[in-house]
Amino acid sequence: MKKKKHMAVVIAFLLPVFVIYTAFLFIPLVQTAFYSLTEWNGITEKIYVGFDNYKELFGSSDYWLVFWNTIQLVVITLLIQIPAGLILAYLLYMKTKGMKIFRTIYFLPVVIAPVAISLMFSLFYNSEIGVFNRILEMIGLGAFQTNWLSNTDTLLYAVMAPQVWQYIGLYVTIFLGALQSVPSELVESAQIDGAGQVKTFFHVILPQIAGFSNICIILCITGSLKAFEHSWIMTGGGPGVRSSYLGVYMYKTAFVNSDFGTGSAITMTIVALSLVITLIVNAVFSAREKD
Amino acid sequence: MKKRMARLMAMSMAMALAVSAAGCGSSQTSESEESSSGGSGDKVSVVLATNWGEGDAKYDYFYPLFEKFQEENKDTMYITLQTYSTEDYKTKIKTQTASGDLPDVFTYWGGGMMTDMVDAGLLLNVDDYFAESESVKREDFEESSFDYYIAGDGNAYGVPIESTRGVLIANKNLFEQYGLEYPTTYDELVSVAEVFKENGIIPMSIGSNGGVPSEFFFSELYNQYEGGEDEIAALASGGNFDTDNAVKVAEVLTDMIDQGMFPADTMANGGWTNSLQLYTDQKAAMTYTYPWNYEFIPDEIQECTDIIPMPQMPGATVDPSTIMAGFTVYGFMINKASFEDEAKHDAVMKICDFLASDELTQSLTESGMIPCKNVEMNMDNQKLIMQKTMDYAQDKNLVQVHYTTMPSADAITMMDSSLDELFIKAITPEEFVQKVQDVLDK
Repeated sequence: MKKKKHMAVVIAFLLPVFVIYTAFLFIPLVQTAFYSLTEWNGITEKIYVGFDNYKELFGSSDYWLVFWNTIQLVVITLLIQIPAGLILAYLLYMKTKGMKIFRTIYFLPVVIAPVAISLMFSLFYNSEIGVFNRILEMIGLGAFQTNWLSNTDTLLYAVMAPQVWQYIGLYVTIFLGALQSVPSELVESAQIDGAGQVKTFFHVILPQIAGFSNICIILCITGSLKAFEHSWIMTGGGPGVRSSYLGVYMYKTAFVNSDFGTGSAITMTIVALSLVITLIVNAVFSAREKD
Repeated sequence: MKKRMARLMAMSMAMALAVSAAGCGSSQTSESEESSSGGSGDKVSVVLATNWGEGDAKYDYFYPLFEKFQEENKDTMYITLQTYSTEDYKTKIKTQTASGDLPDVFTYWGGGMMTDMVDAGLLLNVDDYFAESESVKREDFEESSFDYYIAGDGNAYGVPIESTRGVLIANKNLFEQYGLEYPTTYDELVSVAEVFKENGIIPMSIGSNGGVPSEFFFSELYNQYEGGEDEIAALASGGNFDTDNAVKVAEVLTDMIDQGMFPADTMANGGWTNSLQLYTDQKAAMTYTYPWNYEFIPDEIQECTDIIPMPQMPGATVDPSTIMAGFTVYGFMINKASFEDEAKHDAVMKICDFLASDELTQSLTESGMIPCKNVEMNMDNQKLIMQKTMDYAQDKNLVQVHYTTMPSADAITMMDSSLDELFIKAITPEEFVQKVQDVLDK
């Protein structure tokens, strides 16, 4: 009897989650997988074409350029956002005076709409009326002036920059919370044992916040894989597809060109890429835990 | 006791979550049921969608009349007005079409953008509407304005609202300041551009972001070449973009870019607003624009602005002072199912009569709209630059642009994004033409 009651409670808790996930995640995913095997403009009947959409996609140079852009975004955000977030959080943690104000200032861009940030950066970059080139000239770096959004060498990175900058504050906040949860006795005893600031950070603090680092890395990767707004607002993913990520490419294909079949195939490749990266990250995390 | 309370609370929270999730679904269902059955009682629910949202030049001229119409018909219909900015609006309609939730009456574009809807039988042949309407007849409109909405079966599926004219505008003061004449040939344009560049003025504020305004400028130049007009018109049926003229025009554009005639940063200064901004700030001497942007030109700039013919490009045979890009921009479409729905039919007819009414058409002209309907435009109410445009347009032969004749939406997208690439010199003229043709061949 008790077991039955216990079972009822378990089901009552799991059912809503199961229903919501099934309705809004699993069913759409299965539907998308089905659409990806069809030729469908969103209006007329779907025509089953097997793996033709995938063949066309994998044979398209545009797709691989977009794929590479997305990988670059993942790597660059990982290399900049996480270390920058950690360093800033550690500086705030060490120098506690005014910490709350700085924490708020760093977090502020996170809550501003990406659309506003993107429009702001578009104006900054504008070589005719923008301030970015003027600032470079004023500080003696005039040689680096360029048409940021119209130069194929800088275009992609100019579009990435606001996204990378905007979310550093998120990691500052997470890492700061993590640092504050490290027992002060551990730090003190390390320092009594003669460990300097650097050794204490790498050998005492960093291992303590490893779990938080994992969360930040996952947030960073997923944020990059679903990147959309900055690229869409600043350049519409163009010129061509030069500043597109997979999300933008999918949107343009499905909703602008009304090719929902190929758009769904792109979505499935995003899912596959996410799964592969998740598996790699999990493997790295478990190997690190074993060590 | 404590345990039982905790269990009870947990159960009730789980139930609340489940009920709230179910609640969302039920409210949506009842809404859709109401709209599909045409509402309860005498009042019928209809959805009108337009791209004249707040911030759009037409909003102020449309909304007061819409409110009046709504008030007059409050006893018979409940109108849901859906408005979005143009680009979002296009996506919204596509999404609604895919989900089977097309508005009852909606403004939309013709050509390649409506083909799929026509094929799926979603749109009403507008002759069916005209046959029933007591206040609006097909003859009230410029007949050629229906061309944009004529599908492969020869029927028109949209009632045209707005026509337009492409104009090259020049700042008279800047030309006078540097002792320059308006250029009529390409060589003159190059000389004029040199003087402006030396003085820190951008000769022509034409960028390319999403193919705007470069795509329309490309078409304007294309029409100067022998057979260009016919080739653009034939695009709708033949699907051939890979022509000698296309390569020639792309080469001319590349040369203009090399000569520094456009802003250096064509992406950041692309789009209607940004291209116009440099001109209205007097940082650029000329720009290519359309009347739907006139709302954003200050009075003092309108005064010193002249509409001038496009200079004749190298190898062109058509005199640019005799032609002008002029085409139907968009109109409204009628959801066939709603028109055939007995409950909604009268309401749909009334809304269509309102959208095509002389009163609304005349009001919209004040936003800088050239009407497709033959109504008297009160020129005294028009902006100065609009008056100049209409004067200039009087004796011009109207020519089409690729946007209206391109047979598929993805070919338009490819043309736009490839022009962006051409403008930053990431691709050659031949590659640009080939990329568009490849999409058409697909």
